[in-house]
Amino acid sequence: MSVNTGAKLFRKVDVDQFDEERFVEDAGDDSSAVGPNESEVNNLLAQNRNAEALKAVLNNPPVNTKDQAIKDRCASLVLRVLSAFKVSEMEGAINGLEQPAQDVLMKYLYRGFESPKEAVQSNLLAWHEKLFAVGGYGCIVRVLTDRKTV
Amino acid sequence: MAATLKPYLEAVRKTLHASMCLENFPSQVVERHNKPEVEVMSSKELLFTPVVISRNERERVKIEGSINSIRISIAIKQADEIEKILCHKFTNFMMQRAENFFILRRKPIEGYDISFLVTNFHLEQMLKHKLVDFVIHFMEEIDKEVSNLKLAVNTRARISAAEFLQCFN
Repeated sequence: MSVNTGAKLFRKVDVDQFDEERFVEDAGDDSSAVGPNESEVNNLLAQNRNAEALKAVLNNPPVNTKDQAIKDRCASLVLRVLSAFKVSEMEGAINGLEQPAQDVLMKYLYRGFESPKEAVQSNLLAWHEKLFAVGGYGCIVRVLTDRKTV
Repeated sequence: MAATLKPYLEAVRKTLHASMCLENFPSQVVERHNKPEVEVMSSKELLFTPVVISRNERERVKIEGSINSIRISIAIKQADEIEKILCHKFTNFMMQRAENFFILRRKPIEGYDISFLVTNFHLEQMLKHKLVDFVIHFMEEIDKEVSNLKLAVNTRARISAAEFLQCFN
């Protein structure tokens, strides 16, 4: 293929923007949901009530905000909760979650994979395995198709 | 180290299986064209959220899905300079012959060593679980292959050095 086949620089006017059926992503910037209650989660963790901490941290995920800083803070909080678990405790904790919360957890897992840290990676992989055993392919597909990232 | 390999490959396998759900989808922009949407990215509504699965900083897999194609990019473990060279040569060798490998992409995407592009036509010709198995098998084998090559290079270097230095004995 010749080099300049893909060149689009000479096109100054974007005619597609006048298309009536053009896909517009819904803004949905609702800043009321700004992540889980951090102090509550920290308290539960300090009292060693990991399963409840997990429930609390998955509550109210920051999916509607565009602020990356909030998302980063929530992700690191979730990672902290997840790494507090032993492998044997994971299954019980996952079974205690509602299905929407499981999907949110799966989102956080993939988020955790994106910025690998040597220490927690095997933990995340174990979580992924256990969560798949409960949620199945549907859980993964819902993460893939959802526009609202964590 | 080996302890995380199996769960890593399992996670990749499941994600691949979930995202390989493709259908025929002609281009919305050009009539009578049929392009892999993950490459042209003409519309956001046709794309999946890209996901990454990583074992550590160096070994990771990126899976980008769309309605009629998915792109799988693999970053291969490279511990030192010689592994880097061997890996580069090896992947280059294959990518230059990409048309014989059907799903291989001619160029890896940025930050990764090798990419596969699976379209709905591949899925119509080939079995889905075999394709997934192939990718997983490839990931298992390439690590072994690179370390074997490295061993072979070192042995050869040692033998030739010994031969060469014999004449000064």
